[in-house]
Amino acid sequence: MAETSNNQASKDNVLDLKDVEKSFGSNRVLQGVNLSISAGEVVVLMGANGAGKSTLVKIIAGVHNADSGSLTLDGEPFMPATPADALRAGVCIVHQAINDCVAPDLSVAQNLLLDRLCNGETGLFFGRGRAAREARKIAGALDLELDMNKPVRELDLADRQLVGISRALAQNPKLLILDEPTSSLSQREAERLFGIIDRLRQSGVAILYISHRMSDIRRLADRIIALRDGRITGVFEKPLNYEAAVNAMLGHGMEVSKKIAVTRGAKIFDARDVVLKTGCEPFSFSLSGGEIVAITGLVGTGKSELAECLFGLRQPPAGTFLLDGKPYQPLNNRDAVGQGVFMAAKDRANSSMIPGFDISQNLTLPFLPDFTALGTVLRRKERNKAKEMIDWLGVVCQSDQDMLNALSGGNQQKVVIGRWLSKACRLLVLDEPFQGVDIRARGDIGNKLRETAGDRATLLMTAELDEALEVSDRILVMSNHTIVGEHRTDSVDMDLLLSQISGAVVSPNAAAGHFGKDGIQ
Amino acid sequence: MRNFAIRYGFLLLLLAIIVFFTIMEPAFMSLRSMVFVFQSVSITAILALGVTATLVVGGFDLSIGSVAASSMMAASYAMVIWGAGSVEAVALCLALGLAVGFFNGVLVVYARVPDLLATLGTMFLLLGLQLIPTAGRSIAKGMMLPDGSTAEGSFDPGFLFLGRHRLYDILPVSVLIMLVLALVIWFFLEFTRWGRVMYAIGSNELASRLAGAPVNRYKIAAYMISGFCASIGGILLAARVGRGDVSSGNNLLLDSVAAALIGFAVLGAAKPNAFGTLVGAIFVGVLLQGMTMMNAPYYTQDFVKGAVLVIALVFTFSLTKAARN
Amino acid sequence: MLNHLTRRMAVKLGVAALAAGATITGALAQDKPAPFDNPGDVKIALVRYLSTGDFFQAYLSGVERQAEALGVDLRVFDSRQDAALQADMVDQAIALGVDGIVVQHGLTESMTEAVQRAVDAGIKVVAFDVNVENDAVPQIEQSDQLLAQLALEQAIKDNGDSFTAGYVYVPGIAPLDRRDEKWREFKDKYPGINEVAQFGTLDNPIANSVANQASAVLRANPTINVMFAPYDEFAKGVKIAVDEAGLNNDIKIYSADVSSADIQAMREDASAWVATAATNPAVVGEVSVRALAMLLAGEEPGQSVIVPPTLITRDMLMDLDIQNMEQLSAKLPQFAHADVAVPAWMPLPER
Repeated sequence: MAETSNNQASKDNVLDLKDVEKSFGSNRVLQGVNLSISAGEVVVLMGANGAGKSTLVKIIAGVHNADSGSLTLDGEPFMPATPADALRAGVCIVHQAINDCVAPDLSVAQNLLLDRLCNGETGLFFGRGRAAREARKIAGALDLELDMNKPVRELDLADRQLVGISRALAQNPKLLILDEPTSSLSQREAERLFGIIDRLRQSGVAILYISHRMSDIRRLADRIIALRDGRITGVFEKPLNYEAAVNAMLGHGMEVSKKIAVTRGAKIFDARDVVLKTGCEPFSFSLSGGEIVAITGLVGTGKSELAECLFGLRQPPAGTFLLDGKPYQPLNNRDAVGQGVFMAAKDRANSSMIPGFDISQNLTLPFLPDFTALGTVLRRKERNKAKEMIDWLGVVCQSDQDMLNALSGGNQQKVVIGRWLSKACRLLVLDEPFQGVDIRARGDIGNKLRETAGDRATLLMTAELDEALEVSDRILVMSNHTIVGEHRTDSVDMDLLLSQISGAVVSPNAAAGHFGKDGIQ
Repeated sequence: MRNFAIRYGFLLLLLAIIVFFTIMEPAFMSLRSMVFVFQSVSITAILALGVTATLVVGGFDLSIGSVAASSMMAASYAMVIWGAGSVEAVALCLALGLAVGFFNGVLVVYARVPDLLATLGTMFLLLGLQLIPTAGRSIAKGMMLPDGSTAEGSFDPGFLFLGRHRLYDILPVSVLIMLVLALVIWFFLEFTRWGRVMYAIGSNELASRLAGAPVNRYKIAAYMISGFCASIGGILLAARVGRGDVSSGNNLLLDSVAAALIGFAVLGAAKPNAFGTLVGAIFVGVLLQGMTMMNAPYYTQDFVKGAVLVIALVFTFSLTKAARN
Repeated sequence: MLNHLTRRMAVKLGVAALAAGATITGALAQDKPAPFDNPGDVKIALVRYLSTGDFFQAYLSGVERQAEALGVDLRVFDSRQDAALQADMVDQAIALGVDGIVVQHGLTESMTEAVQRAVDAGIKVVAFDVNVENDAVPQIEQSDQLLAQLALEQAIKDNGDSFTAGYVYVPGIAPLDRRDEKWREFKDKYPGINEVAQFGTLDNPIANSVANQASAVLRANPTINVMFAPYDEFAKGVKIAVDEAGLNNDIKIYSADVSSADIQAMREDASAWVATAATNPAVVGEVSVRALAMLLAGEEPGQSVIVPPTLITRDMLMDLDIQNMEQLSAKLPQFAHADVAVPAWMPLPER
């Protein structure tokens, strides 16, 4: 299969992108992207969050227009102005959120015919019988054995997904784009989907498959394209080198030797035999004062769940935490803060920023009682503290009364993290602290973390390997909701690390599942 | 220029309207006249201050009108039928308002009923509930009870004082209560940490929760403030009218919500705020008083209220947002 | 319908069987015409448009009292100012198999057809304060013209035939419109009446909203010495404004309708509210049911049944020491009952 497509690459290319560029404001989301997909080929597009995957898909789908560059479909210039244009030209997309593809209250038949119903191709009257017949024809392509009159909301997720895909296939697409289609499917359901993808491939449909699930990629990919920061950082043909692909996606590209904290303080935090998700392997690790530990792993492997457990937002199904040797079981996040565990959550716009507040008000929010007398906020004290923090963190702004919204991502993040640095704590958890943060701000924040590390333990959750390498002293690798490896940042075995991330190799330590106690010294 | 318009536009508009009415009807511009404007909006403004508190935490309270109506009935019932004094009557009303607010808060926070629906439900509950003790009759001194006897009690003079007395022969007590309450709520929202956290919750609930704010307690407190204000409104209404009038309070609800929303536009705040709410209420009061003086028919008044509200919302949502970006 | 009739037949047969033994019920009912010889089987419905407020409560109590005196089964439908619902309720009553319907208030547009359906179904209907454009339906009226006339005649008597007046009015409400006719008639008749301000609102609570308007009007027109507020909620609002402005010795308020609360307001020291004309709403309720009963008995109550109003002045209330509606009924017999629609067989409520 791969050979055919390679041999006839130039002729059979269904979709060709040349030098596609796209910016939102000053943010260059896509830069010089070249990509081609030929008939009967499954191309996997890998990329971390914010790499530009969804923008790329939206350009192909006609949601956005490229700023420059050209698209051709079957050799013809392709400039879809709307999603309907793209659909008419033969580009079908199955979105990640299944319910975007189906109308839950309509029957299977109505869903399968939805595009036609919307186009008005069916005429004014459309009997149930005829609808069921037509729908069965569409479903036949996928051997979909469903009751055509059942409402879609009564189907399980996989069947819903299949209805969505069948609907897409009813358009006889030249190009089918699947955006993380297995994210909510079970292993068995996913296997069914893969079977269908195999058949589509044989029938000559070009498929762009977006995922960072290594198991999917191993099973399906004819070719892998890695996207990073809006650029194509690697194109991998068969035989596929998965570690190299992960490397291209995460793109550490940093010099590996660096200084790390030499002196480690006393042990502060212990996690013992923790099970993050029922059925997943238990793991243990410990953290010491003064060190910065990064937990890295692909998106959706359980890093945020662990962070939430530490901050009292959820309870792990099993396992114990010890803080300074004493059992630590926070009831909620207020209790966690009371016991000296702080957390800056991921996705700052939703979970950290108060858009209606200025910088000073945002900075003081968690520790407001420190700035009040008799319940009244001492505005001067608050603003002085804010000015001090702004100087110290190097926040670029006009004054402490700027709205937080008006700042750049990096400066917003400085404020959000500064909030939790303004007071000493025992354990500081940072979940994806460098999302949407430029490289300079990232360096600044890293320095401040190091500067204040003191006798506090710092735990950093990140899907970006180079962030982990840059900021931390020690890296724990998480895969499938358990920790599978540990590395000292000054002596990383890059191949091992990447294979751990991609879930191929189980580290010898993982069998024991204990990290940081006496493992690497 | 644009910023100036956003900041002071609404206040200037208010000034222009006052000047206009003064030219058209010289009796409009006098201390006494202004006091009457304040008096005419005092109950609306007090309710609106309560709504403001719920708006600040990102909620909404549709039940204030019926809380005021129920509180009016409760005060009348306590005095006329039970023969209670003014202190007991007032305490009963305030307790009622706080209890209803607590109920609303629990519905919204723990039962997870969306705020509009929860408070709508409470509104209907109270509309019915206030009629049950008297079988739908208004309460007045000497009324006949359902069992055929005659009510012995009467409105306490101390209670009527709240609605009818004028300090220094000019300032009605209800206006004084409105001003004090506005000052207290303004200070509370703008300068205390509790107010600050309430704004934080309204702006981003998840972020506030993660920053350690006990969001549920604050939300319940906001609804209790709202119920408290509404019950004060009901007390003043009963004291002014001097009887327990059967009424839905829906007009009170609409007027006070309008006042709170108009308040968004005052000083370009673009958020619920106590000062704006007070100005919003006065704005509507000035317009209605002026128009009544000029013999404008009643149906033009709702139209004008609507027009003011639409202008204020445009101010808030297009001009202010545009200036920010 | 058919079902209902057969059920009634069955009951009658049962009664006939019993009659052979003890016939106490039969003996009592003998002097009344059918169907009131067996009143327990008579079902009537009251379909209301307006219900909150003292007037409507008192009306309902009158309806209930008369229905009880007759011994009939009364069902009350309350549409709470929902015109469409009120029409639906007439249909519900038809479905329920009632023998007669009292329509209380409503809109001509929505009720005409519904009432016609009831009449077509063989149901007797009387209407209070709503014109349903149907010759088969007698109108019960409290004569708003007479009410306005009594109050205005008193105003002329007190103030002479020239005065400066403020007038409270909201158009589009049938009884207020009829009172307005009389007011315009008086203004034509007495050119000395100078109406300088007209205002009014039905915003809830009405008294409070009217008070706000009235205080503006009083400041804009300090020469007003008579306020004609032909609805007691209006009068209450005006009185609040007059008291607040301290003008209670300079202005006299004339109104229509009365309640215990109104009596208390009129009795206050130096009250500006000096007179009101009223029909006892409880009496109107009684008359409504009596007129319906006459129709059911095959008698003719007349196309229009007018309940005459009574003038009530502050002086009367003070002289007779009247504190509430009960005392008003007791001490002013012309207010307590009306000898309207009273055939000899008609049982009257206890007085």
